[in-house]
Amino acid sequence: MTTFTPKLDRRTLITGAAALGAFQVASPFIIQARGETAIRIGMVDPLTGVYAAPAGNEVMGAKLAVEQMNAKGGILGRQVELLVEDSANDVGTGVQKARKLIERDQVNFMIGDVNSGIAAAIAQVTAEKKILHIVSGGHTDSITGKDCKWNVFRVCNTTRMEANSVSSVLFSKYGKKWHFITPDYAFGHTLYDACTDDLKKLGGTVTGNELTPLGTTDFSAYLIKARAANPDVLILLVQGSDMINCLKQVVQFGLNKQIHVAGTQQELESLAALPPEARIGVWMFEWYWKQPGVAGVDKFVADIRKVNNGNVPTARHWFGYASAMSFALVANQQKTLDAVKLAAALENFELPDDVKLQPNKVYYRKGDHQLMTSAFVGEAQSKGKDDPEDLYRVDVVVPGDKTAPAVEETGCKVQWPA
Amino acid sequence: MFIVPVRCSMTLLLLFNITNGLIVGAFYVLMALGLSLILNLSNTINFAHGGFLVIGGYIAYAITPYVGFWGALLIAPPLTAVIGLAVERVLIRPLYGRDPLYSLLLTFGLAFIIEDGTRFIFGPQGKPVTIPAFLAQPLSGDFFFITGYRLFMVAVVIIAVAALFLLLRYTRLGIRIRAGTLDLETVAALGINVGLLRSLNFGVGIYLAGLSGVLAAGQLGLEPTMGTGLLMPSFIAIIVGGIGSLPGTLLGGLLIGLASGLTAVFLPAASEAVIYVMMAVVLLIRPRGLLGEEGMMS
Repeated sequence: MTTFTPKLDRRTLITGAAALGAFQVASPFIIQARGETAIRIGMVDPLTGVYAAPAGNEVMGAKLAVEQMNAKGGILGRQVELLVEDSANDVGTGVQKARKLIERDQVNFMIGDVNSGIAAAIAQVTAEKKILHIVSGGHTDSITGKDCKWNVFRVCNTTRMEANSVSSVLFSKYGKKWHFITPDYAFGHTLYDACTDDLKKLGGTVTGNELTPLGTTDFSAYLIKARAANPDVLILLVQGSDMINCLKQVVQFGLNKQIHVAGTQQELESLAALPPEARIGVWMFEWYWKQPGVAGVDKFVADIRKVNNGNVPTARHWFGYASAMSFALVANQQKTLDAVKLAAALENFELPDDVKLQPNKVYYRKGDHQLMTSAFVGEAQSKGKDDPEDLYRVDVVVPGDKTAPAVEETGCKVQWPA
Repeated sequence: MFIVPVRCSMTLLLLFNITNGLIVGAFYVLMALGLSLILNLSNTINFAHGGFLVIGGYIAYAITPYVGFWGALLIAPPLTAVIGLAVERVLIRPLYGRDPLYSLLLTFGLAFIIEDGTRFIFGPQGKPVTIPAFLAQPLSGDFFFITGYRLFMVAVVIIAVAALFLLLRYTRLGIRIRAGTLDLETVAALGINVGLLRSLNFGVGIYLAGLSGVLAAGQLGLEPTMGTGLLMPSFIAIIVGGIGSLPGTLLGGLLIGLASGLTAVFLPAASEAVIYVMMAVVLLIRPRGLLGEEGMMS
């Protein structure tokens, strides 16, 4: 005989639906083995959610850096540990995890986050706690702009650097009427502002801007509107799985046969997840694995392949790697862990060949703490010629100090602690 | 290059978005019907429904190289249903006698496990799924958003919905499921094996989730997290349409697709929020939902 269920009431169902919203908050975490005297690098990144793929790659890059520095004696002769927490692509969770890493795990350094909004929020915490912090992969301008902090440095480009690197190419190649698909949060807003500023200077016009919520799966309504505005080029500013879904639908709808489709920031993670016919357009990469003749790149590619199922590193691997390496380089040079002294020493600190892994001079700029890293401007390729992962053709590598606005224009005024 | 000059008046833009909204809504319907079936008979709020969608999609991805897209479309949903049956038998059945919160928490956890399991096996990076070339074309330059694949999806949804309603109306199993939804105690007293009935019903629901997964994979590609994003609108479709009513779920799914499509014309940023607003309005004015029966689950 069966037992019977108490009848489910509507309130329970609605409570349940509300709980689904909390889905993103709880999350798993990874911790490596701990020692008594080890130096700890904390890392907060969205291991789950739309940015899971780039975040996972940043962590992999940072892990490789930690292994390599430990093999060479660590930081100040002490072994280094990487403690990774999942921000679940949620600002509140990210801040909570950063506080936990600082207060409970007593980390010496902090890396993170892919999501600009979370990166900015974590920067508040690290500044308050006086922890040297490198933003690995959040691009919004304010982090090294009007909200810059003495303890916060950034490896990836600012949105303005991204726009400046590729705007004129898009303009001359595709035309002057631009329509935007923009993710509706800090990153998208500043990237849109930067692009439209460039476009106005070039003499073009904006036919519209579709602000899309992060995690949008169906872009058809926005694309219908964008098409109706009849632009020369559709500029996609969305990232992660949003980029994949949007670009895929653009191609399914054949929009790329009617108008040009391109954008600013593009990533290998996204191109790899797209079917060949959707790998189109002019973009900028922030780092690319195929750089013949550039010192150290081949070794880095080989090292990552060993831990990445044979796959090549993406810009995200390099972000994590360069962030973690920066701590070791500057601390070993200054022979101290004092955050204020290290932050001062990082100003105008130049990355050596085996860490910068690109042709131009790469340094943390004094004044706004932004890494002057290159933009790899080029075009997506549907199929790799020599390697299935060679999905991008680099046309020009623009140095960071050519794409970054002057320090005075960033709005950054670093306030050092007394 | 620019073959089709679009003459886009407001009326045309509206028409586009109504059509588009219905296409999007059709997909929610498929997902929501499975959810609704399970909810009605088993009183289980299946939070793992999105997870089963992901399983269906990844099974299709894994077998496509051997059996092709059409083979995957046939094979992946029943395989997903088999996994669903196993989960129901081992994990969910022991909780039937208890408060619905137990199974809610269980499926909530299960959703996490499925998401992380997929990430563990297939990696966090998205996977492209190739659909047959002739479906990947838009039908015309003006109506570019009506691609062969999207029409095909709508056709599959219509067939699945028709088959489901015929099953429920004319087969013994269907009649029992409907009877069980109304009064499980009496159905059991008449000598029907309620455990088996619930299992089969759960299997049908998960079959629909698997089918949604294969269709979504062709449209969007695959990501371990894709289930969560598609699950919420399906829940709202059920609440708007009325708990306990499958035609209500059908109506609810189409309505929220339509609402978000239309909002996109005027206020794109609100196109996601509008479905929550709809839910709130329905709950305030007609708490049982548009076609929900009085007293059902209230």
